[in-house]
This record gives sequence, structure tokens and C-alpha cells, in this order.
Amino acid sequence: MPPEILLQTHLNCRTIAAMAHATAQELETDSLLSLSQAKVGCDFRIKFLNGPACDQLRKLGFCETLQVRKLADGRNLICSVCGTRLALSRELASQVMVAVA
Amino acid sequence: MSGSLETVALAGNPNAGKTTLFNALTGANQQVGNYAGVTVERKSGEFFTPHGHKLRLVDLPGCYDFDGDSVDQQIARKVLLGEIEGEPRPDVVVSVVDASNLERHLVLTLQVIETGVPVVVALNMVDMAEKAGLRLDPQKLSEELGVPVVPVQANAGKGIVELKQALRHPFPPVADTPWTHGPEGEIGERRRALVLRMCEVAARRPDGHTSTLSDKLDQWLLDPIFGWIAFVLTMLAIFWAIFSFAELPMGWIEDGQKWLANYVTGAMAEGDLRSLIVDGIIGGVGSVVVFLPQIVLLFLFIGLLESSGYMARAAFLMDGLMGKAGLSGKAFLPLFSSYACAIPGIMATRTIDSAKERLTTMFVAPWMSCSARLPVYLVLVPLLLSSESKLTQALVFFAIYVLGTVTALIVARILRGKLGPEEMPKHFMLELPPYRGPQWSYIFRHVAGRAWSFLYKAGTVIFAISVLLWAAQTYPKSGSDDPAEQLDHSVIGRVGHLTEPAVRPLGLDWRGGTAILTSFAAREVFVSTMTQLYHVEEADTDEETWKRLRTRLSEETWPDGRKMFTIPAVVSLLVFFIYALQCLPTSAVVARESGSWKWAAGQFAFMSVFAWVAAFVAYHIALLFF
Repeated sequence: MPPEILLQTHLNCRTIAAMAHATAQELETDSLLSLSQAKVGCDFRIKFLNGPACDQLRKLGFCETLQVRKLADGRNLICSVCGTRLALSRELASQVMVAVA
Repeated sequence: MSGSLETVALAGNPNAGKTTLFNALTGANQQVGNYAGVTVERKSGEFFTPHGHKLRLVDLPGCYDFDGDSVDQQIARKVLLGEIEGEPRPDVVVSVVDASNLERHLVLTLQVIETGVPVVVALNMVDMAEKAGLRLDPQKLSEELGVPVVPVQANAGKGIVELKQALRHPFPPVADTPWTHGPEGEIGERRRALVLRMCEVAARRPDGHTSTLSDKLDQWLLDPIFGWIAFVLTMLAIFWAIFSFAELPMGWIEDGQKWLANYVTGAMAEGDLRSLIVDGIIGGVGSVVVFLPQIVLLFLFIGLLESSGYMARAAFLMDGLMGKAGLSGKAFLPLFSSYACAIPGIMATRTIDSAKERLTTMFVAPWMSCSARLPVYLVLVPLLLSSESKLTQALVFFAIYVLGTVTALIVARILRGKLGPEEMPKHFMLELPPYRGPQWSYIFRHVAGRAWSFLYKAGTVIFAISVLLWAAQTYPKSGSDDPAEQLDHSVIGRVGHLTEPAVRPLGLDWRGGTAILTSFAAREVFVSTMTQLYHVEEADTDEETWKRLRTRLSEETWPDGRKMFTIPAVVSLLVFFIYALQCLPTSAVVARESGSWKWAAGQFAFMSVFAWVAAFVAYHIALLFF
């Protein structure tokens, strides 16, 4: 097989792989929910933080891969992360994207 | 304190147990002051290592990291870098971390290590962490960090000797900081990644969340309905307890005061000096000191609420209500602390992120009726009530406190609106520490400190004012034996008459005006001024003395024979005291905290005018009913 065809095939494969990866990511994002939407009493894993208060949230202990449990809902919700109970506003909680643990 | 001593600094996040560890290391041997030029509390003390080597311990302000620009963060960072005037750079730092919360607390430890000072990690609250099912490996953690790690349980005094051992000579070497190599902008991310990796190997968590006692309690105490009921009942119980439990020790103080006055009267010849000591000093200072038990109880309950963890829950509950006043739940703690004293309350506003919210909270904090107003209320409230049941009194007091609080929230809402919106939206977030049993040593230290400052005030400011008042009432001599004529002729009589045009619309005469005037230095002086101005003679029993005082005030008449201390007049006086800012130290603290004397002066002027207008309105409304 001529080298240019080989190169073209290789590039096509890479493009398909990248598209598949992007699709998988989109699907995963679609399956995520924010902490404000999450169900009370369930355990979740933090997938990523998305919003202007990311740094504030990280200082509070909301880091990717950590487990979080939502304990109460309301104007401000209560959750437990790294063994600490935290109360935070719904706006902040909506910036924490989680998936079922 | 010797300047040649080697210094150990305590660094750590809020709620890491730093204060408890500080007390465990130093015992009662500590001094409290401020860092130069700022109103950040600086606690220092001394302790000995097991080898008898004396070290100086400095408690740094608690913070989550050194990256921010809050006063606490700046002070903590500058102390570690040796950039604070008059504060030597620490020779070694004890980084206090909560063992059950290492994912958060170790980030600050890494930053402390980065400052290039030898570090020892105190792994605090290991008992709580083990109860939560964490598998801790201090040895592994020490290897990962490159610094000694000592497990401690500061509240039980466990591990303190081992920690002192770790602080013996030579101090541990400065640790390497490989995570700092790389792009500067990503250092925060590298720190967090390293901390998570360390926790995976040295502090493994059990799978799944285990429900703790605090979780179960929170289900009730943070419930939108039951939580509020519990909150209101707690507050009512505190007010009831203050007035019920203080009765006995107040009686002892009054008996002691009477015994002393009788002793001096018997031991000295009649004359001005005896009159100064008995009427001026013992009478004036004693009438204020008698309220010490109530003030002690108020601080005791506030200390209990703080150390049990309930105060944070109250802030959570109050966030909705505070939101209506343009504030967040974080403003609750400073405002609630102001019920004891506005000064620590105003200093506690430092925990509020938003500068505009902080200024607003500072402005209205003095309207939370502080302990200095208690003596005034205790004299005036019984004049309003025919019934003297403790419950009725507690309810009236509760209403007084509610009036001040509601007004503060309304004014806060207006003021917050005037200051404009935030440049960056501020969100409510608050750590809810686990419920704990009371830390009695901390509470007693806190209460003793407050009691001492009250007594110090009584022994200095109130002593001086009592002497001045006595002199102003005694001179110049009128030559008459009639006390009323002498009072009229005296300096205070002449100055007091000048205040009459201002207080007459409030239903008071010049004596009420004089008492208000003298209380601008310190509210507590109002009681001693009234006692002296109305010359109430001591009786054999306290109840009889109080009855005489009330009788004296209730029988006082205007020249035309009308009663003076009618219900409207007492109400107007009460309202004036609820709203007036009569505390110079508070104004000084507001000026320092806000960085503006204009803000403090504006607050003083606004509150004085507001108090007069409110008292005037209250008087005329009450006249319609009584």
C-alpha cells in the first residue's frame, strides 16, 4: 500500500477515535447531574467542577474523584465530603457535577 | 516574655482544633493581644519540652490557604515569612490538621512546608477519624510529606508529650517541595493531586458514607420546622436561665457591698471622705458589679453554643431570614456574639467575604442588646410590670431583644441596598462541625476573660465616673441640709438642667438627662448615676432596697404633681437605650475594622439621632394607651 494511502488511513482512524472519544465524553456529561439536582441520601462521585466558583469549591474540599453524599435539600443544601458536613447555596451546588458512585 | 526564646507557630484550618491544642500545650500560661497595626487576635504562650527546654508558642489565625487576600491569610503568611514587625520568624511550625478531613487540611500543610520553615504535623482528632472508619497511617504520611507526623487528641491531652518530644533539638530539617517544580499557575492543582494521592495511601476512607450521630441530630435540628422551634426554645431557655440562675450570686454581691458600706461607715468619722467612699465608690461601683453573674451566664451560654457546634447550625437556619435583610447566614454569628458584647461581634465580621456585607453587619451590630445594657433593663423593666414572675420578665426581655434585632435587620436591608450590588456574586457556604461535648477549659477561660474585662471596666472607668459624679453632686456646697436643694445647687444639677430641653420631649427631667449623658462613656454607669441622683437608701434586704428604688422612681413627680416615671416615660428610656450607641470602645473598633473613622462617626451620629427619635415616637404612642 502506498505510503500516502497508509497515512490517510491512519489519519482517518485517528479522527474516528477522537470522534468516538468526544461522543463518549458527551454521553458521560449527559449522564451527569449537578449536586443541586442530586437525590438526598445518595452517594455520588465528583466528576468535575464547572463554574466561576471552582476555586472556592476546591478549597472547601470538592475535588474531582472524591465521594460526596447529599444530606439535605433546600435553599441551602447540606452535603458530606471528605468526612466534613458543608452547607452551600444551590448556585454553588449547581457547579459541582457528579455521577452516581 | 523573653525575646530570645525560640518560637513555635501553630498553623491550621478553622475547626482543626488549634485553640484546644494551644491550651493543651501552654495551659493557663498565655497572653492575648493583637498583631501590630491590625485587629487580628494574637495569642502567645510558653511551654517546656520534656527535656526542660523553654519554647514560645504563637497561635496563627486559622485559614484554609495562604492564597487569598483576607486579613487572616495575610497575617498567617507574613508571620511564617518573618515579615511582621516585632514578630520573629518561627523556628518551627506545628501544622494542625483534622485527621478525619485530611483531603482539605493537608493543602495548607504543603503551603506551610513551602515557606522553608521546619514543620511538625499534629494529626489531631484521631479518635474521631477512627470512629468514622478511617484507616490512618501516620508513618506513611510522614514519609510522603517528609516531616514528622504526631497523632494527638488535644481535647483529652493525648499525644501532647509526643508532640513536645518532636519539638526537641535539633528541629526537624526543612522538607523538600518537589510539587513546586513546574508551571506556577498549576501549583494549586499539583498540591491537590498530591494530597489526594497521600490520602489514598495514608488515610483510607471506608466505602460509602456512615451516618454519624451529628447526621442524626442534624436531621432534627436543621429541619425547616422542628429546627426553628428548637432554635427559638433554645434562645428563650437561655434568657430564662440568665435571670433565674443569677439571682442567688447577685444577692451575695449585694450583701457584700452592704457589709462593706456598713463597715466603712462604722470605722470612719462622718465627713466628705466617708461620703465619697460609701456613697460614691462603694455605691457607684457596687451597683454595676452586682450584674456580673448575669454577664457571666450570658457568655457561658454563648461559649456553650459555640463549642458544641450548634452556632453554625443557627447560622444555617438564619440564612433565609438574613437573606431578607440583604445579609447571609455568615452575618448571624457576629450579630449573635454582639448580644454579649459588640466588640468581639464586630471583630467576628472578618469571616464575611463580602466587604459590603461586612460593613453593613458592623453598622447594625451595636443594636443587638449587649450585656452592658442589662443593668439598665433590669432597673427599668420591673417599673413596667405589676407582676414580677420570672416568665413575664423573660418575655419582656425577649421582646426588647427582638425589637433591637428586627430594627437592625430592617436598617441592614436599607443600607445594603444603598451600598450597591456585589462585583462578584458571593455564595453561602459554611462548614458544619460535628456536635461535640462542651470544652469546659476553653469556655471557662473565655468566660473568665470577659468577666475580668467587665470588672476591670468597673474598677477603672466606672470607678472614675462614680468619683466624678459624687464630686459633681457634692460641690459646690449649698449650705442646706436638704439633699434635693444641694443637688440642685451642685455642678451636676447645673449641667443636668442644660440637658432638660432635649429629654423633656421623652418624658424625662434633667436627672434622666444627666444619667443618659453619663452613660455615653459606658452604659452601665446609668444605674449608678440613677442610684446617686435619687438617693435611695439601702434597706436590710435586697428585695426591700429594690422596692424602695422602684417606689422612689414611681413616686417621683413633676413640679405640677404629675407622675414622672409613668409607663410611657419608662418605655421611652428603654427604647433610647435599645438604640443608642453609648460605648466608645465599640466606635474605636468599628473605625479600625472598617478602616474609616468617618464610618464610625457616622454610625455614632446616626444611632444617637435614631435613638432619640425612636424614644420620642415610643413615648407619644405609649401616651395614647397609658
